[in-house]
Amino acid sequence: MSTNIKLQSNVAKSSILDKLKSQVKGADYSKLPAEPSYQYPQLSKEQQLAQFIGHLQANHAQVIQLEQAQIAETVSNELKDRGIKKLLYGTQAAHSAHMAELDADINTDISAEVFDFNLAGNKEKLFNDTPASITSSRAAIAATGSIVLWPTVTEPRSLSLVPPVHFVIVDAERLYATFATLIKEQQWQDKLPTNAILVSGPSKTADIQQTLAYGAHGPKELIVLLINS
Amino acid sequence: MAAQQLDPNESKYAASARNFRDNVKRDLGNQELRENFRGAMDYLVDKRKNAFPDGDELETLREQCKLIKQRCLLKLPHLLEQLEENLQANGIHVHWAETITDANDIIAQLIAAKNGKSVVKGKSMVSEETALNDYLEARDIECLESDMGEYIVQLAHQHPSHIIMPAIHQNKKQVADLFADNIDGFAHTTDVDALIGEGRRVLREKFCQADVGITGVNFAVAETGTLCLVENEGNGRMCTTVPDLHIAITGIEKVVEFLDDVPPLLSLLTRSATGQIISTYFNMISHPRQSGEKDGPEEVHLVLLDNGRSQAFADEELRQTLQCIRCGACMNHCPVYTRIGGHAYGTVYPGPIGKIVSPHMLGLEATNNLPTASSMCGACGEVCPVKIPIPKLLQRLRVESVKAKHNGEPVMKGEGSGRKSIEAAIWQVWSIMHKYAFIYKTSMWFATRLRKLMPNKIGVWTSVRTAPKLAPQTLHEKVQARQNQQQYKQLQGGK
Ligand code: SF4
Repeated sequence: MSTNIKLQSNVAKSSILDKLKSQVKGADYSKLPAEPSYQYPQLSKEQQLAQFIGHLQANHAQVIQLEQAQIAETVSNELKDRGIKKLLYGTQAAHSAHMAELDADINTDISAEVFDFNLAGNKEKLFNDTPASITSSRAAIAATGSIVLWPTVTEPRSLSLVPPVHFVIVDAERLYATFATLIKEQQWQDKLPTNAILVSGPSKTADIQQTLAYGAHGPKELIVLLINS
Repeated sequence: MAAQQLDPNESKYAASARNFRDNVKRDLGNQELRENFRGAMDYLVDKRKNAFPDGDELETLREQCKLIKQRCLLKLPHLLEQLEENLQANGIHVHWAETITDANDIIAQLIAAKNGKSVVKGKSMVSEETALNDYLEARDIECLESDMGEYIVQLAHQHPSHIIMPAIHQNKKQVADLFADNIDGFAHTTDVDALIGEGRRVLREKFCQADVGITGVNFAVAETGTLCLVENEGNGRMCTTVPDLHIAITGIEKVVEFLDDVPPLLSLLTRSATGQIISTYFNMISHPRQSGEKDGPEEVHLVLLDNGRSQAFADEELRQTLQCIRCGACMNHCPVYTRIGGHAYGTVYPGPIGKIVSPHMLGLEATNNLPTASSMCGACGEVCPVKIPIPKLLQRLRVESVKAKHNGEPVMKGEGSGRKSIEAAIWQVWSIMHKYAFIYKTSMWFATRLRKLMPNKIGVWTSVRTAPKLAPQTLHEKVQARQNQQQYKQLQGGK
C-alpha cells in the first residue's frame, strides 16, 4: 500500500477523532439510561418449528422434512424433477459421504462433485456449469425463518451463493428462538468466521415496480432439508 | 466559470439542490412519475404497517434502538478506534477520509495498487454521496452497479430516487425500454421475471470477471470487527465473495458497540424499510480470505467517511441526525416526497432524512430550501425506528438558515445564508409590535380599518387560494365589546 494513502488517512483520522472527542470529553457512561428489551412470548419447540417452516415457505423456500438417511434419495429426486444432472458439495460435511454415494449410484445419472478447487481460475465453471449445490448449516432461527451458514475451508462461501439451486441441510435440534438468543447461547462474540450469513429464502428483488421476482443474483431456489429426528 | 463551481471539492449535488424549486415544478408536472411514486409509497406504507402487528413491541423496539444508537454516538470516537483495532486484528485494512474527494482518492489508489480495471458495486448510498462512479470512470475504471435498482438507474444515467428502492421512479415499461436501448439482443418484454432474468444474465457475467467489489455497510460492529450487510438480491454477497479485492465504504456513524446491538436494529431496519421480518441475506464479514479457504477476497478494506457528520455531531440536538439507520420509512410516509418524488430534492438522500442530513454534507447555502419543504405533519418522526425528531430538526435548520451574523463559533457551514433583510425586518417589526401593547393595539386598529386596501393578489399564495381578509374588528375589540355588554346587562338586572 502506498505511503501516500497511509499518511492521508492518518491525518484524516486524527482530525476526525479530535473533533469528535472534543464534543464528548468527560461523558459519563454510567449515566446512560437503561435500554428496554421486548419480552417475546415463549414458544414450545413444536411451535418454533412451525414458525420456522412457515416463514421460510412464505419467503418461497421449499421445506422437506426427512431423516439423515434419506438425504441422498431426496436430493436425487429433486434434481431429477428439475432435469439437473450435476451437483457440487463440500468435503467433510456430515452429508458428504451420502453425496459420494449419490455420485457412485449407477441408478442415477447425477454426477456429484466436491468443491476442492480454488475459486480463482474456476469462476467460469462455478458460474456457468454448476446448476446445483448442497451445504450444511450451523443453526437456524425460528422467529425469522433464517438459516445460519458458516462457510469453512471445506464448504466455501460461493458454494451457497452461485449455483441457481441451493440445498441446505438444517438440523431441527439447532433451532433457536431468535437471532439474539442464538448469538448469546453460541457466544458469537468470541469467534466469528471469515463470513457468516443468515439466509431466509431464495435470492429476490422487488426493484422493478414493486413486483417480486426470485433469483436476482443468488440462488433462484432454496430447498431446505430439515432433519427432525 | 460561475463562482460556485470553482470549488473542486463541491459535490455535484450542491448545484442540483440549489435548483430545488425548479426541480419541484418539473417533477410535479410529470404525471407518470407521480403515479409511479404514489403507487410505490402506498405499497411500502402498507407493508410496514403489516410488519408491526404488535404496537407494544414496536414502541419498545424503537425506544431500545434509539438508546442503542445514542449510546454508540456518545462513545463514537472510542468505538471508531476499537473498530479499527479489531478490524486490523482480523486482517481488514481501515482508512479514514474527511471529504468525498479523499474517500474517492483512497479507493482509486487501492484499485490501482491491484491493477484493477473493472469494479462491481453493491448498493451503497455513501458511494453515491462521493459520486464514486464518476470519479473512477474518469480514471478508466469501469464501475458497474449490481443491485437491480441501481443497475437500472445507472443505465438511465440517473441517480437513485429512493435510498432503499433506487429505481422506484420507473415503471416496468420504462425499464423495458431502457433495456431495449442498452442491452444487445434483449427481446422487449414488460414481464418483470424476464426483465430481472436479463439483468441477472448480464450482471453474473460481470461478477465472474470483476477485479474489485465495492459495497456499503449497514452496521460495523466494534466489539468483533465485523462488517454487516443487509440485502435481498445476493449482489452484496457476490461483490464481497467473488472478486479478489473488497472495498467497503461507510459513514462514521454506522459503528455499533456490541454484536448484541445488531439483532434489534436489524429487526427494525428491515421491517421499517420493506416490511420484511428479515432480509433474504444478512452478511457478516470479519476477515479477508484465511489460509486454506478457497474463495473470498484476498484483501478487505474499510473506508470511514466523515463528510459533514462531525459537524452534526458537534451539536447535541443535531447529533440525533446520526442515529439514522437508513431505512427510508420517513420518505415512504412523507406527503411531500410522495408528490414531488426523490429527484426533486437534488440531493443524494431525498425525503425527510435528506432534508436533515444534506445540509451537513453540502452546507446550508446550497440546501436552505430543503428544511422549508415540509408541511410539518410529523409523519416522519412518528415512523422513524430510532425516534429521530425530524420535524424538530427541520425547525432548527430553518433557524440556522436565517440566523443573524454573530461572533461565536458557527454551528453549521452556510448558516445564515438564507437570511433575507426584508424578512428579518418584518420579524423585527413583528417582535416590537408584540412587545408594546400600545403599538400593538394602534397598529391593529389601523389594519382592520384599512382592510379594504389589502391587495387581492399576493404572489404565489393567491395563485391557488383566495386572498385572506382581515376582520372589521380585532378579536380584542370584540371581546371587549361583549364584556361591556355583559356588564351593562348585569347592572340592569341588579336594579
Ligand atoms: S431518519 Fe429514521 S425513518 Fe428516516 S431513514 Fe433514517 S432511520 Fe429511517
